Amino acid sequence: MDGMTMVMENLALGWGFVSVTRFCVPLLALWILLRCARSMLRMRYEPEVWGYLKLPNGKRCPLLHWENLLGRAGSSDIVVPYPAVSRVHAALIRSDNGTWTVRDLRSTGGVYVNGKRVKSSELRDGDVLRLADQELDFLSLTESERGELSGVRAQPGDLVRPGLNFLLLTLLLAILGGQQLVSAQAEYRLHILLAYAAFALVMWSYFLVMRSIRRSGFEVETIAFFLSAIGLSVAAGSVPEALLKHLLLLIGGIVLFILLGWWLRDLRRTRALRWVCGFAALGFLALNLFTAEEVFGARNWLYIAGFSVQPSEFVKVAYIYAGAATLERLYSGRNLFLFIAFSALCVGALALMGDFGTALVFFATFLVISFLRSGNLATVFLAVSGAALACFLVLYAKPHIAARFATWGHIWETPYGAGFQQTRALAAAASGGLLGCGAGAGWLKDVVAADTDLVFCLICEEFGLLTAVLAILAIVLLATFAYRNAAGSRSSFYVIGACAAVSLMMVQLALNVFGSTDILPFTGVTFPFVSRGGSSLISCWMLLAFIKAADTRQNASFAQKLPSGILSEPVDEDEEDGE
Amino acid sequence: MKKVKTRAVFSLLIALALVLGLGVYVFRFARDGEAWASFTANRTVYQDGQLARGTLTDRNGVVLARADGEARSYASDANTRVSCLHAVGDFSGNIGAGALQLFSDSLIGYNPVSGVYDPSGEGPVVVLSLDAGLCKAANAALAGRNGAVAVCNYETGEILCMVSSPAYDPEYVPAVLPEGAYLNRVTGAAYTPGSVFKIVTLAAAIERIPDLQNRSFLCAGETLVDGQIVHCTASHGAQTVEQAFSNSCNCAFAELSLELGGDTLAEYADRLGMTQPLALCGSVTAAGNFEKGDAGSTALAWSGIGQSTDLVCPFAMLRLVSAIAGDGTVQEPTLLRDGKTTETRILDKETAELLADDLRYNVVYGYGEWNFPGLALCGKTGTAEVGDGAPHAWFTGFLQDQEHPYAFVVVIEHGGSGIGAAAPVANTVLQEAVKS
Repeated sequence: MDGMTMVMENLALGWGFVSVTRFCVPLLALWILLRCARSMLRMRYEPEVWGYLKLPNGKRCPLLHWENLLGRAGSSDIVVPYPAVSRVHAALIRSDNGTWTVRDLRSTGGVYVNGKRVKSSELRDGDVLRLADQELDFLSLTESERGELSGVRAQPGDLVRPGLNFLLLTLLLAILGGQQLVSAQAEYRLHILLAYAAFALVMWSYFLVMRSIRRSGFEVETIAFFLSAIGLSVAAGSVPEALLKHLLLLIGGIVLFILLGWWLRDLRRTRALRWVCGFAALGFLALNLFTAEEVFGARNWLYIAGFSVQPSEFVKVAYIYAGAATLERLYSGRNLFLFIAFSALCVGALALMGDFGTALVFFATFLVISFLRSGNLATVFLAVSGAALACFLVLYAKPHIAARFATWGHIWETPYGAGFQQTRALAAAASGGLLGCGAGAGWLKDVVAADTDLVFCLICEEFGLLTAVLAILAIVLLATFAYRNAAGSRSSFYVIGACAAVSLMMVQLALNVFGSTDILPFTGVTFPFVSRGGSSLISCWMLLAFIKAADTRQNASFAQKLPSGILSEPVDEDEEDGE
Repeated sequence: MKKVKTRAVFSLLIALALVLGLGVYVFRFARDGEAWASFTANRTVYQDGQLARGTLTDRNGVVLARADGEARSYASDANTRVSCLHAVGDFSGNIGAGALQLFSDSLIGYNPVSGVYDPSGEGPVVVLSLDAGLCKAANAALAGRNGAVAVCNYETGEILCMVSSPAYDPEYVPAVLPEGAYLNRVTGAAYTPGSVFKIVTLAAAIERIPDLQNRSFLCAGETLVDGQIVHCTASHGAQTVEQAFSNSCNCAFAELSLELGGDTLAEYADRLGMTQPLALCGSVTAAGNFEKGDAGSTALAWSGIGQSTDLVCPFAMLRLVSAIAGDGTVQEPTLLRDGKTTETRILDKETAELLADDLRYNVVYGYGEWNFPGLALCGKTGTAEVGDGAPHAWFTGFLQDQEHPYAFVVVIEHGGSGIGAAAPVANTVLQEAVKS
C-alpha cells in the first residue's frame, strides 16, 4: 500500500494512467456486453422435454413446459385440431415433484382420463387422455430419462466461456479502481483499494461457488456485476468515507439474490408465499406511510438502527412476487380483480407518501403484469386512461409536482432556480465527451443527488457517453434475454416474474436517465445497480433473481434444479441438485 | 405458455422505447453538447463563474489573456492591456462581447469526443486577428480623448485594430473608473454621423438619379427648405456631384435628399447596414437610427446630411467602407485570425466603383494627399453637430492598396472637425499598419 500510495502521489504518472485507460473502459465494457449478448442471444435454445402426448393422428408432441394448454386454438401449446375439441380445452400441469395433473378448462366436450370424465385428475405414465371424442396417449419421463435428454442439451458456457467474462470484469475493476486512486484524497486510498479488491473477491467467489455446483450461465450476473462495478466507482468518488458500507450492502444484495433465486426454484413453496408477500408489501407501505419522515418532499424513508431504509424498494420485489401467477391461476378467472385492487393500494400508498416516481414505476409494472396475465389490451388502456386522470388530480393537488412539469423542457431558463440540478448535470455530461474524464475526477459528484437521481450524467462525465450508453444497453439486453426465455419457461410464474422485473428496471431506468437529462420531467428515481443507496441496490439484485429463475437453458441457472442422472457427469455429485 | 410468451413482447416494447429515448439523448448530446459544456457552472472549465482555461493571443502571438485554473492574467505590457481591453474583454465579464466572452466555447476546448477533457489543464490557444501594436498606436493617437478606432482587412474581414477610449488596465482596475469605460465604442455605441452619412445618400443618388453625373449643384452658402435655412460650410457655387461630395456641400445633399425622398433614403440606410444591429462573431452591435422625414421637410433634408435624428455605429460605417473597397461585397468582419467569414453583397459593382472614385477624389482634391503621405487613401470626413459641446469628429475610408487592403473608421467624441481631429489619428494608425 505504501508503494501504491507513492506511485499515486506521482500525479503526472497518475494522470497518464487515466488518459490511457479512459479509452479502455468503454472498450472493455463493449467487449463484456458483446460476449454476454452473444451467449444470450446467439445460443441455440433447446427446450426442455417433460413428457409426450400422442395425438390421434399418430403425431407425438413433446410437452415443453410444466404448464401446457391443450385445445383447438393455434395458441395452445399442444394443438388438438378436431372440431369437437374446444379452443381452450384443458391444462396439463406438472408439479415440482413430477406428478402431472390434467384440468378441464370449462370445455364443452369434457375431459376423460382412462374413460372417466374428470374436472381435474392426476395423470400417470401410459394413461389415456380423452378430450371430447379425441384420445391422446400420455407418456411422462422418468428422472433418469430426463437426465439423458438433458445431458445432450447445449450449455451456455459452451459458446462463450464465462471465466473470461469475469477476467474482463476484474480488469475493468482494476482500471476503475486505479483511476479512482489517482483522483481520491490520500486518506481514502486504502478504503478504495480494499473495496475494489473485496468486490473482485466477491465476484470470483460467486463464480467459483456456482461453478462448483456445475452452473455455467453467468450472463445475467456479469451484467449486474458490470453495472455494480460502475456503481461502486460512483460511490467511491462521491462518498469515499461510506464506501465500505456500500460494499456491504452490495454483498447483502448478492446474498439475497442467491437466497431468492434458490427459493424460486421450487414453484410450490414459491406459490405458497405469494399471499404472505402481498400482505407484507401492504404492511410495509402502511408502516412507512404512518411513521416515515419527509425528506425532499417525499415521505419514503424509514430509519432503523442508523440505517435509512426505503421500504418501497423492497415492496417492488414483493409486488412482483405477488403479482406473478401460474397458468392454473390465470384460468381460474377471478384473480385479476384482486391484483388490480392490490396494485391500486400500492400505487395509492406511494402517491400519498409523495413518492410519485416510484408510484409511476409501480404503475408501469402493474400494466406489464396485468397484460401478461390477461392478454387484454382493453384493460391496459382503461388503466392508462384512469392513471392519466389521476395524474391531473396529482398535478392539481401537489404544487411541487406541477412545478417539475413546468420546468420540463425549460431547465436552461432557470439554471439557478428549478433547473439547477439538471443544467449542471448536462454541463458535466457534455464535459465528459465520449470517453469521460476518469473515475472520481468529475465535479458533478458535489451536486446534490449526483450519485442517485443524476447518476446517468455522472457516468457520462466520468466514464463517457459510450460507457453510459452501454450501461443502458446492458439492461436492454436483460430484457431481450427475459423475452427469449419466455419461450422455454417452465411456468408462466417465471415468465411474468422475469418480464415484470426487467420492465420495472427499464421504466425506472428511463425515468432516471430521461428525467436527469430533461427529456422527461425530473422524478428522482434510481438507476438500477448504479445509483448509490442500499435499499435500491439490494432490491435490484433481488429483482435479478426473477430473471435468473426464468433461464431454462441446461445447467444455466442455480435457480433451477438439475435433473438427477445427467449422463456426462458422475451421479454422486448430483446430491446438491437432485430431488 | 405460448400465449404468455406472446404477451411478453410487451417488455420488448418498453425496451424499444428506452432505446428510442436514448437515441433522443444522443442526438441532443451531439447537437447541444458544446452549449451544455459552455455553461458557466461547469467547474471543469469555469471557476466561480470565470473562465479557468485557455489563452488568447494577437495575430503575432502576443498573449492578450490567459487562464489556468484560478490564475488569470492579461498581456504583460500595460499599454497593450489598456489598448486591447474592449476587444479582449475581461474575465469578470464587465465588458460586454469581448473576445474572452465571444470565444469562450473555443477557449474551453470542447470537442464531442473528449468533451473538455484536458489533462494538461492549459486549454487551447485562440489567435485573434488583432494586432496589439496597432491597437497601442491607435490608443496613443486618441491621446486620452473619448472615441473609437477600428481597422480591418477588407479582403479577409480580419479586424486588426479595435480600440475604444476611455479604457483602463484590467490587471489593476482603478477604484473609480472613467464614465462609460466598460463600453466598446466601436461596436456598442451609435453616434450622430454627420457628413460621413453622405456616403449613403450618394449611393442612393448614384443608383436612383439617372442624370446625376451630368447635373450641376448650385450652392449659395445656404438654402431654404420648408421655410427654414439649411446652412452650408461655405458658398460652393456650381458643382458637379463629386465636387459637392468633396466639398461636403450641405446644400447639394439637401437637394439630393429631398429629391430621393424619405423612403428611398431609409431603404439605403437599411440596406447599407446603418440602422439594424449587425453580427460580429456571435455578438450584435449597437443599432443605428434613421427616421424618414416628410416629403419636402427640413428633417428630410438634414437626414440625408447625417444630422437630424441619424445615429450610426462606427462598426457599421467600417463595414460600409469595406464593402465599397470590395467592389460592393463585404467580407463580414471577424476577430479571429484566419477566421471563416461570409460574403455579403450590399452594393452593385458599378455603384461601389463610383463611390470609391468619389472617396478618392475627396482625398486628392479635398483633404490633401500630403496629410496622408504614401497612402493611397479614399475617405470621407464627418463633423457631426450634436448640440452639447464640440461636434463629433469622424473619418472613415480605406486604402486602395493591394499590399495593405485596410478599411478604417475613427470617431472622436466632441473632437471637433473630422479633418482636423479624426484624420490625423487615422493617418497615424494607417502609417503604423502599413509599416508592420
